[in-house]
Amino acid sequence: MTPLAPPLVAHPPARRLVPLLVGLTLLAPLVAVFFGVADLPLGDVAAVLTGGGSAEARSIILDIRLPRIVTGMLAGMQLATAGFLLQTITRNPLADPSLIGVSQGATLSVTLFLMIAVYSHDPTPTTLVALPWSWLPAVGMLGGLVAGGLIYLMTLRHDLGPLRLTLCGVAMGALLQALALGIVAGWGSSRMEVLLEWLSGSLYARRWEHAVFLAPFTVAGLAVLPLLRRPLELLRFESTVARSFGSAYRRDFSAVLFVSCALAASAVGAVGPIVFVGLIVPHLARKLARGHFPLVLPLTVALGAITVTVCDLLGRLLGGADEIPIGVVTALCGVPVLIALLRRTP
Amino acid sequence: MLLHARDLTVRYGQRTALSGFALQLEPGEVRALIGPNGSGKSTALQALAGLVGAAAGRVEIEGRSVFAMGRRELARHLAFLPQQPVAPDEMTVGQLVRQGRFAHVGLFKSYGPDDEATIAWALDSTGLARFAERPLNALSGGERQRAWISAALAQEARILFLDEPTTFLDIGYQVELLDLVYRLSRERGVAVVMAIHDLNQAMSVADRISVMEGGRCVFDGEPGALASSGLIERVFRVQGRFVDLAPDAPPHFDVDLLRRHSPVGLTAQSLSH
Repeated sequence: MTPLAPPLVAHPPARRLVPLLVGLTLLAPLVAVFFGVADLPLGDVAAVLTGGGSAEARSIILDIRLPRIVTGMLAGMQLATAGFLLQTITRNPLADPSLIGVSQGATLSVTLFLMIAVYSHDPTPTTLVALPWSWLPAVGMLGGLVAGGLIYLMTLRHDLGPLRLTLCGVAMGALLQALALGIVAGWGSSRMEVLLEWLSGSLYARRWEHAVFLAPFTVAGLAVLPLLRRPLELLRFESTVARSFGSAYRRDFSAVLFVSCALAASAVGAVGPIVFVGLIVPHLARKLARGHFPLVLPLTVALGAITVTVCDLLGRLLGGADEIPIGVVTALCGVPVLIALLRRTP
Repeated sequence: MLLHARDLTVRYGQRTALSGFALQLEPGEVRALIGPNGSGKSTALQALAGLVGAAAGRVEIEGRSVFAMGRRELARHLAFLPQQPVAPDEMTVGQLVRQGRFAHVGLFKSYGPDDEATIAWALDSTGLARFAERPLNALSGGERQRAWISAALAQEARILFLDEPTTFLDIGYQVELLDLVYRLSRERGVAVVMAIHDLNQAMSVADRISVMEGGRCVFDGEPGALASSGLIERVFRVQGRFVDLAPDAPPHFDVDLLRRHSPVGLTAQSLSH
């Protein structure tokens, strides 16, 4: 046996990124706590964080800003991870949670739910009813899961493969989106605002309930990722090659699809379809990892949290009292980033 | 017997791509699979490797059915290199070859010294040790092909299937690959089945040859017997004859070309067209 090839270790620059990103993941929410629409003196915020502070400051920080930041971070991690998983198994750099119809399914179910709720509670369209806000995350998630499941079954009937999944996903997604749009157009009530706000992807008025709703999915989702690490590496190959290397392709493909569907559907349910996070963040992570695949996933998780926190902060600061929904901010920031990334892609 | 296949039949929709295929493989045997385009060579390899569903028949490795084995267990017995495989973008040679160890490390086990040594051996066997850090898309076609062969070698399987492994290699690398196949079979007892287009290479490297025609195996035997069977001219629709080049070497198939029978010189007229 002859001299060994140079050891295959992570590129040093990529390794050094990890502490930096962990730092940023902690720093971003801290900054976001200190800045908001209500001008709180820095001292007051610090006092609240250390357990003191005035009642008003405590209420703003603990009941408004913190739950919002935490919800955003959890959703960001989930959407980015879901996007990364889908891009990997479909070998499609443009894949994101809307590819498996999750966003559209959630949209349709929330639209239907709001319509039914409004009409069953209130026959006169001029009075405002207390909308069942607390149900929205669960309803959205259910719609997303059902859509993902339907697309999976359609794909399963043929060979379970990336191309088939993409085609079924695009077709089903378009259908669900059209149905939702048709309902909205036919509905035409003033309550469309509620729906529009949810549709644009928003962290406005997100409370601890939302964070608590998301947390189990984030924890479970991140906990299974180590199990999926090696199967994912093989799923990057076409199925013949992956199976020759020993991959249980159909099982692993299904498992990864299920995890990404659950992560995306619960996140979309809680915060609406925040576009571009699932699409762009994995690309950023890949650039930073410089070809060292095992690093991409942790980077994706960290960058997902950071991106949503920072974009939401921007939306709050730039919009003033009429804050810009985060979905709009991520889209506005995402397009230039996407173009910049594509310029460097051969 | 290492591998035993019987009555293997594969259908794609209405079309029967492989019918009644049989193969027996001893340890250390080199088997060439030849036949015209579309005669079922790739299908036969894929069916033997359990990669396409068989409508009928069995494949056994040491008495155990391939179809009943998990993919990971099978990958420890059998490595398969398809035609023109595609690797993910930005993957390096070393990363590709590491995938060959999945069958041994599984989901959690970390790569031990044995694994690293096998990876180094696999890279070295194809002369790619220096290329480990290079991205695959920066390599030439021949180098990339050798990287894939390294990945298959890293699986350390006792059966190796190669689907047209020499197609994109120049003659130097073709010979290198055939020599590597021969060394693997004789030094490590690896049984190799390869679909190959070059009849003379098949004749010179294989212990036995299977000739495919229209999804059926029409010949299974030693190169010498194939030379005297007269099958080649019929199956490939060519004229030619086997000639002995050396006393102990397999005969060489010399194909007739129109040019040799009725040579027409290059005239001013044909040049002007």
